[in-house]
Amino acid sequence: MTAALRGLAGGLILLLGWEAAVRLFAIPPWILPAPSGILATTWTARAGLLPAAGMTLAEATGGYAIGAVLGILLAILLSQAAMLRRVLLPVVVIINSVPVAAYAPLALLWFGTGATSKVIMVAFIVGFTVFLNALDGLTRVDPAGIALLRSFGAGRLSILWRLRLPSALPAIAVGLRVSTVRAMIVAIVTEMLGSQLGLGWTIFEAVLQIDFLRVWAAILVASVMSLAFFGAITLLERRVVFWK
Amino acid sequence: MKALALLAPLALIAAAWEGSVALFAISPFYLPPLRDVLGAIGANWQAYQAAFLITLLEAVVGFVAGGLVGVGSGIVFAHAPRLKQMVLPIFIVSQTVPVIAFGAIIVLWFGNTLAAKAAIAFYLTFFPVTVNTLAGMEAVDPRQIALLRSFGAGRRALLWKLLLPSALPRIFTALRLSAGLALAGAIVGEWFGAVQGVGALLLAAMFNEQIIALWAAIILAAAVGGALFALVAVIEARLLFWREEL
Repeated sequence: MTAALRGLAGGLILLLGWEAAVRLFAIPPWILPAPSGILATTWTARAGLLPAAGMTLAEATGGYAIGAVLGILLAILLSQAAMLRRVLLPVVVIINSVPVAAYAPLALLWFGTGATSKVIMVAFIVGFTVFLNALDGLTRVDPAGIALLRSFGAGRLSILWRLRLPSALPAIAVGLRVSTVRAMIVAIVTEMLGSQLGLGWTIFEAVLQIDFLRVWAAILVASVMSLAFFGAITLLERRVVFWK
Repeated sequence: MKALALLAPLALIAAAWEGSVALFAISPFYLPPLRDVLGAIGANWQAYQAAFLITLLEAVVGFVAGGLVGVGSGIVFAHAPRLKQMVLPIFIVSQTVPVIAFGAIIVLWFGNTLAAKAAIAFYLTFFPVTVNTLAGMEAVDPRQIALLRSFGAGRRALLWKLLLPSALPRIFTALRLSAGLALAGAIVGEWFGAVQGVGALLLAAMFNEQIIALWAAIILAAAVGGALFALVAVIEARLLFWREEL
């Protein structure tokens, strides 16, 4: 409890210090606007920000769902094929080590500036993250546990269902949690390169119009959304992985 | 040995690339033959080399600064639990901010300089390093601390001889993760008006719809990432010499 209070105090001190510094040193808004100014702009620009935020959220969560399902399914498949895994895993790691930002222009050229390119990019990055975490959890099972289940006559499927999946859940949950913030970032980055609607596009436009208060307002909305997304998945994780 | 282990999957990717283009007659709009892409890099070698070095430098400057500050703040937090409780939540929240959206503002602050890209790489690097340094130091067995204390070890000796060395494996886990993030930060930082670097090449190729140049830039980004990972691996091998099989 005291820890939470201290955290709250820390946040308040930061906001007040920020506000005071901006007012005291008369920092122009194009360098650093005051928190109050950002909030006010968010409110006055809400008519434009809301649909943009809805679009970004839809792309991020849609791509997230697709990527998470594909990542987990692929990890389950590869966890059953040791040979294939040994060949494919290094390939996947190399493809994944190229920053997403490098693939984004490709997605735009292939799938256009609509929502499709963003959903595919998000699904791609979430899929990789969840896949690598899930595979790690599925294959790092206590061999003694497998031997025990086998001695009771359990087959592959039963070992997968009763042992591998439950013991991989914490690792899968970590992948799902990390992916929330990444999904939002990737959606925004891809939007910045080219789109018709979305927070990334709002930011890009506002930069061109040198309207930095609107950039900050869009960042605020994006941060609140990504915090909420992160919080929702964390809550879900506590429910599902209750024994942790 | 490690280089060999890397060569095999690279060869596999190259073979699969060339093979599938020939076999399925994939339109060059999606995937041009690998030899064309490599040929484009070879034909324009100096430009690609320059872009490689610039982006690598931006990422390395931000990465090294972020790593040092991250370890430093991890040490401070480990010694000042109250400060940790006040500041760490802010750090955590700050990580859900889509940093890349900041790119525009950071470029505004620093201009189109190396410092702007390095600042983004820094921001992305220091947080994972802070968290893992802290976690590594907090995971040290208290009995070991008690033992060293009983031999008269002070705070400094405790830090250098026990806490930091025990935290090193976790610190390097964070550094490996951050290396990729730092590179992404540098590349996106270049999107806001830079004329040089891998990010600038990516944008130019996209706007001109030159698919070969785009793939060349992606391979270049992979090369910068590889160089960063190699840097971390070399330092890790030096500092963590007591650990077998890294």
